[in-house]
Amino acid sequence: MRTKIFALLIVTSILLGACASAATPAPVEQAPATIKETVVVKQTEIVQQTQVVEKIVEVTPTPGPNPEAVIEGVEPNAELTLWTFWLSPTFDDYIRSTIARFEQTYPGVKVKWEDHQVTFLDDYRNAFAAGNAPDVANLSDTEGWVREFAQKDLLLNLSDNLPQEVIDQYYPGLFNLQLVDGKSYQVPWYQAVAVELINKQLYEEQAGLTADEFPTTFENFPELCQTIKDETGTLCDLRIAYTDILRDMAYQGGVDVFDTDTQKFTFDSPEAVAWLQMYVDMVKAGTLDRNALLQEDRVGLDLFTSGRAAFYQTGPQLIREVRNNNPGMYGYLAVQPAPVGKSGALNPTSMAMSIKADTPYPKAAMALAVFMTNPRSQLEFSKLVGIYPSTPASYDDPFFTQAPVAIEDQARPIAKDIISKQADIVPEYPMPADVNEFVRQAVESALYNNVPAQQALSDAVAEANALIAE
Amino acid sequence: MHKKLSLTPYLFLTPALLVIAVFVLYPILAVIYYSFTDYDIVTAPQWVGLANYQHLLRDATFWLALRHSLLYLIVTPTLIILSILLAIAVNRKLPGIQVFRALYYLPAVSGSIAVGITWRWLFDTQGGLLNGLLIWLGLLKEPVQWLSEPAFTLPIAMLLTIWMGVGYYMVIFLAGLQNIPEELYDAAMIDGCNNLQKHWYVSLPGLRPQITFVAVISSLAALKVFDEIYVLTLRSGGVLDSGVTMVFMLWKEAFRLTHAGYASAIALVLLAITLVFSVMNIRLQERDTGAV
Repeated sequence: MRTKIFALLIVTSILLGACASAATPAPVEQAPATIKETVVVKQTEIVQQTQVVEKIVEVTPTPGPNPEAVIEGVEPNAELTLWTFWLSPTFDDYIRSTIARFEQTYPGVKVKWEDHQVTFLDDYRNAFAAGNAPDVANLSDTEGWVREFAQKDLLLNLSDNLPQEVIDQYYPGLFNLQLVDGKSYQVPWYQAVAVELINKQLYEEQAGLTADEFPTTFENFPELCQTIKDETGTLCDLRIAYTDILRDMAYQGGVDVFDTDTQKFTFDSPEAVAWLQMYVDMVKAGTLDRNALLQEDRVGLDLFTSGRAAFYQTGPQLIREVRNNNPGMYGYLAVQPAPVGKSGALNPTSMAMSIKADTPYPKAAMALAVFMTNPRSQLEFSKLVGIYPSTPASYDDPFFTQAPVAIEDQARPIAKDIISKQADIVPEYPMPADVNEFVRQAVESALYNNVPAQQALSDAVAEANALIAE
Repeated sequence: MHKKLSLTPYLFLTPALLVIAVFVLYPILAVIYYSFTDYDIVTAPQWVGLANYQHLLRDATFWLALRHSLLYLIVTPTLIILSILLAIAVNRKLPGIQVFRALYYLPAVSGSIAVGITWRWLFDTQGGLLNGLLIWLGLLKEPVQWLSEPAFTLPIAMLLTIWMGVGYYMVIFLAGLQNIPEELYDAAMIDGCNNLQKHWYVSLPGLRPQITFVAVISSLAALKVFDEIYVLTLRSGGVLDSGVTMVFMLWKEAFRLTHAGYASAIALVLLAITLVFSVMNIRLQERDTGAV
């Protein structure tokens, strides 16, 4: 019996010991942290550049003037509001780290950042109505937002307020986008390079075409779309920017849409009729997907991503959507330069920073807009996603000369050349949204209601000229 | 005898009245004011008198939108008929009938945006269910571009409205049917009515209050249709404005073209039309119930 009790005590003590060791584990030596290679960026921080910014490490600022502090006389203790357009949450770390660097560069200035997405434009308009518009806002040049607000005297004239050496850090063609009375109301931020995404399964394997021989001009599209329809049964995914049709008409068709001397619209010229007739012919031939033609970019991109279109024109930064939403198709992607229209000019796809005219801190606001768009900030942004800087100095970095690996980076080595040639060829004209309505109705009448292209455009010109004469 | 005025009820009413004043009364008065101005939301409104209303009379898109909104009222009788038939069908004591009732009601509680996106897939040109089915049946050789065909924009939107509303109104009619005494059906049977006659002579007269109620709310909803058009046409209003209704035009003028003053004038015209419909419906209801 004693032996049994002793054995039981031994077993019990062993079990209790085991339990105790499980409940209170011995301290484990901390594994040595993986030390990743870091890049020391000038004087205020270290940013690891991988797919996303992973970590921000503050270091002691080195003495000496800060080359990024280019605006003098910044209001002390300024509190700025910054709105960006659809950058959160993907780029939260980048935006926050850039703002932190800005606040270190201009001590005392504080920035409150908000990202607005699909309701950005409505929010921005309502903010002006409510008297609490942000000091600095990320507006789209491409969508005509800068001009809309500048024409109403709501934005700060940057041509007259920024130092010339700051203006000179941007490509002139991009700083002079969306001019109003010859003045710029924006500093250009990130750019997209228009490329053609090609689904090689449809384009090469089924249609028997060669991606490398993708048309370089728009005139080839009718024939190309007919071939694709005949061989694959799919329709072409072309898009006219329905919010600014005159822009597409100018770049694609080489049309002079407005005469600034006579202040009259001229988009019923033979060039304009030829441009519209090309689309009319394709609609009649049934080779275009009409659901995407006069729609938002999203519709065409979704069609392409879902494998129902052989090619689609967009920015390479959106290739990530194809990769995320249809990984199987990503391996069949090819990228070619977008065709150039009869104008010979390249249509900028540009984001900008603008400042509200009545900001209490104009110097600080300019400092922020310039800081967000300076060569270093834009270079860091470019390393995260396939966008391109509006500042020539950014392209001096070896990043832009390295041979691209990923398909979305294929445009990187030629980006500088493309960006430097982008320019706004559409002159300023009054009431753009209202005029666009006349143009949209004219284009739809010709496309879908059998109204001759000449008649549709001439009627729209008459209406537009009557409107601005009122 | 002089009745003493008590402030107590008014004090209790004050919070609710304040909320109504701020969120209902003030916006209505503001819209009335803006309708006489040129207002682009971001800058101060400029008084233009009756110019917005004069422009309405000349605006072909307004008349088109008005026509579309009135045409949309077709959904009201369709909804009433389908909902009554459905209510009669599910007004039986069968095992699992609750499941069917819940399933029919499901579209009513689904978000209109999600439903609209699903319907876009149904009518999609390449890969859409309808095109696939019609081609498989040999009825089509090539897919039809349903959603960019002007003739189909409104009918597809109406179908969507009916599909979403029929379950909701079914529940109202079901409640009405269950309030009709069983004895009336027994009497009708004894009098030699068949099933169809039973519903014609008993159910329909018994459902008259519900029919009037559904007619009022569904016609008002039809006049104010927006979500279906917005989603199906991807905010464009359809090719050649084929889906533009009064509320869609109002939205577009206010938020796309920043003509908030003009949009306010459209809103007031819509309000007037809605009021006329409401008064007509109330009069009909009073006549049906014998109220004076």
